[in-house]
Amino acid sequence: MALINLPDFSGELLAEFAARKTERVDTPVIQPAEPFLDIAGEDLRRRIFMTESETGASLCLRPEFTIPVCLRHIESATGTPKRYSYLGEVFRQRREGGNEFYQAGIEDLGDINIAAADARAIGDAIGVLERVVPGKRLAVTLGDQAVFEAVVQALGLPLGWQKRLIHAFGNMSQLEALLASLVSPQFVTGLSDEIAQLIAADDEAALVAHIDATMQATGYSTNASRSPLEIARRLKEKLILSETRLDDAAFRVLEEFLSLNVPLINASAALAGFADAAGLKLGNALARFDGRVAALANAGVDLALIDYRAAFGRPLDYYTGLVFEIGVQGTSAVLAGGGRFDRLMTFLGAKERIPAVGFSLWLDRIEAERAA
Amino acid sequence: MTITIALPSKGRMKDDASAIFERAGIRITAVGNDRSYRGRVEGWDDVEVAFLSASEISRELGNGTVDFGVTGEDLVREGLAEADKRVELCARLGFGHADVVVAVPEIWLDVDTMADLGDVASDFRARHGRRLAIATKYWRLTQQFFSSQHGIQLYRIVESLGATEGAPASGSADIIVDITSTGSTLRANNLKVLSDGVVLRSEACFVRARKESHANDATVQRLIDAVRSAL
Repeated sequence: MALINLPDFSGELLAEFAARKTERVDTPVIQPAEPFLDIAGEDLRRRIFMTESETGASLCLRPEFTIPVCLRHIESATGTPKRYSYLGEVFRQRREGGNEFYQAGIEDLGDINIAAADARAIGDAIGVLERVVPGKRLAVTLGDQAVFEAVVQALGLPLGWQKRLIHAFGNMSQLEALLASLVSPQFVTGLSDEIAQLIAADDEAALVAHIDATMQATGYSTNASRSPLEIARRLKEKLILSETRLDDAAFRVLEEFLSLNVPLINASAALAGFADAAGLKLGNALARFDGRVAALANAGVDLALIDYRAAFGRPLDYYTGLVFEIGVQGTSAVLAGGGRFDRLMTFLGAKERIPAVGFSLWLDRIEAERAA
Repeated sequence: MTITIALPSKGRMKDDASAIFERAGIRITAVGNDRSYRGRVEGWDDVEVAFLSASEISRELGNGTVDFGVTGEDLVREGLAEADKRVELCARLGFGHADVVVAVPEIWLDVDTMADLGDVASDFRARHGRRLAIATKYWRLTQQFFSSQHGIQLYRIVESLGATEGAPASGSADIIVDITSTGSTLRANNLKVLSDGVVLRSEACFVRARKESHANDATVQRLIDAVRSAL
């Protein structure tokens, strides 16, 4: 289908994608809705255009390209590594801007050299943007969830808290609320005497048997949802947590980490200094962070364009490490957004773990920036 | 201009609403016979009454095809996006009390709060290969409560149009968001309400569709004053 409303710089984008050795793919505009809701959450439902097939299957207009491109890769079983590019319309209910607009981007699947692939994604995004918004100085914000994970791990926080903190990472207001709540103990009340005794006796088998028997007696399946063992283990974990609180030192360390915002060229030193002052061993996470900085320099990316903001992340569970956003310096519009999503391919049904990194370009915003 | 009031067409809601209007000096008589779906108000020639089902009332208020209605706040907030921009809750009528709540199996001994549920939801996929499933007919209220208020994104809604409280035991969902007035149905199905799991405390309300034509309409203000004076 020949589209006559393509952005006028589409040709330049496609030339860039070809020069960067990507395989251009297209995906149907009408997609099964299930994978999007499953991956991004129910909240997406009110932001996409949904419909139903005659047979009752939920369908939606393509809200983005990453999931369809990844699904297509899994279905076509062509093996990795693969570099895909796309350019096409996406459909979302937005408060501002139109409901249908163009996106383009690159998805890099299966490159096991993480640092090099991360650097290439950022380099590609910058390179493409420099071509289509020439003469404007770009500003890149970079974040890394793996560093945050290393910090909460090195602080020796209880596993339950680690999970909660990592889950909230990227949503600053939620994270702040969580930290504030951890500072005071969360007592557990309302357990029956029988349960309290089983817990006091530290008899997991008996507790599991009790939960199992109660489920059977009340007509709940013990395997359709949460199992007796899962409930017993988490109850115990919760009781241990309820007697402890996040101490002031750890709270300050987390606050200090989350406030880090430095030029990327200084980021390795800033992180090392932070870890030393806090007495934390961040080992591998810092080595990988430094490796990515080196790979960026090797790839010829101008590091002066990039800032590292420690609190920057996306609160979706398939993002694993790098995230980045690019705009024109002094403006707030995000022209390109990307990151590493090593968990997505297996979420979507890939048999083996496939590391993945990519970015997408907001062509309507780029168009506005070109006109500005 | 004729002002239309939509009232529940049957049941307790109809009787309770009629009683309040009676006390407010608004005597409603059915047009034609008792089972007619139109009514008028003695002495108020510019007011007419439409008897509709409670969920239709919230929809018609949203569309602005009626001026006032008596319906549950839950139906207004579930049925209309940005409800407060489209309608005004003029008075809470003190009947039809029911809470929209998050309820989980009682045997989930480790889950008492939304934060607990957030932990369970974030781990659910890794443990069970699927997202936590919530049975509800309240799509909008559930999404707002879980996503906006509690930062919980990772769940799926399973639409349930009846007997929602049976979904966890039957295995069609893990937890529910449903309406309860006494909690007895939840208890009978071995479900418990989370301590911070009240999504909405709902009751019957006298609701006005926000219409520009109401601005200088004396009848509109008289109706609101009359209903408020009867409470």
